[in-house]
Amino acid sequence: MSEFAGVAARRTFNDRAAEVSRSVAPSVQTVLGPVGAKDLGVVSVHEALLSIVPGAQYAYDVTIDRARIFEALAAKLTIFQKAGGGTIVDSTGMFHGRDVALLEALSRATGVHIIASTGMGPEEMLGGYFLTPQTNPPTPWPAEKFADLFTREVTEGMVVPRIERRGSAGLVVTAARHAGMTAVEDSLFRGAAKTGLATGVPVSIRFGNDAVHDLEVVVEEQLPAERVVVGGLDRKDAVAAGAAVEVARRGAYMAIDHIGSSDDVHVTDAERAAMVAELVAAGHAGRILLSNDAIGYAVGQAPRDLPYDHLLANFVPLMQAQGVGDNDVQRILVENPRELLTVR
Amino acid sequence: MSRVNTVLGAVPGEELGIVAVHEHIGYGMPGCELDTKWWKSPEHRYEETVPKLRKFHEYGGGTFVDATGICNGRDVDYYKSLSAKTGVNIVACTGFVGGDSALPFFARASVEYLTQQFTHEITVGIGNTGSTAGIIKVGVSRGFRMTELDKRIYRAAARAAVRTGVPIFTHLAVDSQPAIDIFGEEGLPLDRVLFGHVDDGVSQGKVRDTEIADMGGRLGFDTFGYDLELPDPPFWGRHRNERLEHFLRFVRGGYVDRVLASADANCSPLGWPGVKGHTVNYIFEQLMPDLRDAGIDEATITKIFVENPADFLTIKN
Repeated sequence: MSEFAGVAARRTFNDRAAEVSRSVAPSVQTVLGPVGAKDLGVVSVHEALLSIVPGAQYAYDVTIDRARIFEALAAKLTIFQKAGGGTIVDSTGMFHGRDVALLEALSRATGVHIIASTGMGPEEMLGGYFLTPQTNPPTPWPAEKFADLFTREVTEGMVVPRIERRGSAGLVVTAARHAGMTAVEDSLFRGAAKTGLATGVPVSIRFGNDAVHDLEVVVEEQLPAERVVVGGLDRKDAVAAGAAVEVARRGAYMAIDHIGSSDDVHVTDAERAAMVAELVAAGHAGRILLSNDAIGYAVGQAPRDLPYDHLLANFVPLMQAQGVGDNDVQRILVENPRELLTVR
Repeated sequence: MSRVNTVLGAVPGEELGIVAVHEHIGYGMPGCELDTKWWKSPEHRYEETVPKLRKFHEYGGGTFVDATGICNGRDVDYYKSLSAKTGVNIVACTGFVGGDSALPFFARASVEYLTQQFTHEITVGIGNTGSTAGIIKVGVSRGFRMTELDKRIYRAAARAAVRTGVPIFTHLAVDSQPAIDIFGEEGLPLDRVLFGHVDDGVSQGKVRDTEIADMGGRLGFDTFGYDLELPDPPFWGRHRNERLEHFLRFVRGGYVDRVLASADANCSPLGWPGVKGHTVNYIFEQLMPDLRDAGIDEATITKIFVENPADFLTIKN
């Protein structure tokens, strides 16, 4: 094992930055360092910038042209900003094409705050190193090891494989398969919760087939529910089960985060807007989060080529038409994500 | 024309010399690159690797066949520099060590797509390296049973082998019937397949070695050196004499055409500690002397390490 001098230097820098942020004001970890929570503006809490299905980088018919990727993403971020957007959370995790240097350059060039994530999931998206390690028997990783891997991405920096650590992850993301959480995913969720507890960054989960069960898995690890956002609550099965209200009752944030999707799995934007209005009327405005789950640049998968400003340009008017007032819109788009993303 | 794809271009089979047919410059399970505990600087990697290859060359080694699959840390540009600076031919593979080493993009892919991936890497190039693969790696996932994905990879490999003429080598020779069926269905003669790791400790009792050889398949005694006599042997280790006796039964029993031998060592492991003291040079330092002590003549040794691999690796059109 060997460490590089640059890693140590950067770690010192990050530690200092973290100390400064703790002593001065509530802050969030962006790819360019800590940013005051009050400066985030409108936040889209679950989007993908560059998204590469693991392995696609080795495909014979895939070319990864960084200049082209940068141009495409910068244009989309600029449109988001012009529509009033301030911050994008890149929820791809640590093994789905995350490219820290690219995210830094995009943030610098566009002025949009970008928060990168650590974490992995669902199980299907993991590498064999975590699932069938070179031990006999090949026991998958336990929660503690995932927690250590994710925590270091917050405290020491995000990995640029075999080269360096860089920046700090601003949240942990994980997901369970739609058919129901697997044993490995249980470990991923518990590991993510342990990292949230150890570092103060929030945890974003995509549930399997039972949002409340999957939320309870992370809460069992002593992570306060208010540090958790449950995504995918605009899935038809979640809507039918009334999952959003149950999540809010337990104190977690509810993400209606496939805005712009209308398919076999998800409800329509009209239904989403009605859902938001109902939740606001029921007193849950303080727990609602919205996002598009757009993919800015997709490699090895079908593009989800929705502009990041769809939420602001098209969905907010639908909410307003349903009677959601300006104060609640502000709360949902600015204050709730700010509360969630602030490092505690 | 006799032709073998190496990372620095095609060479005639006659030029391969002594071949280590199943080795690794560096192997790690997919995802290990995220775990900084295994990281080493490039200078450290060269420092661990170059002396082993230079010694291999000095002992008379000609060709190092790397069995590191697509998602296991295969790094062809690095292999090119190692080959150019040490004079050792390096043959890179396409394919996967097993279904559990194929990342999601490939795990979801069809037989047709995987066939195209392998064929492209053999005939056009691996990524933008300009180097072509000389062999196809396939294997059995953990658990000693071929999974649906393992079988899909075997079928694609068989089709690419038929199309391009390069051979196939396997990780593990257990559960061989589905593999033999697939190769038969795709019209690939079994002498184009090296069933690897017939000699490892955990596979014993699960490998139908004689049957594979009788059907024309080649047997890889290719984990030589993972001896239980080592201070900290891996779980697939085996007693040195037991392995040697196993090998000699085939060498002396009329199967000398069917056997190949190698050490499966890592020059510089990528995602595991490796096994201290075990290198590709076990072939020269331990195995060849053991064979001579057992009365194996030079012609037979040449057959095992030069002629058989040349016949196996040469592209058959």
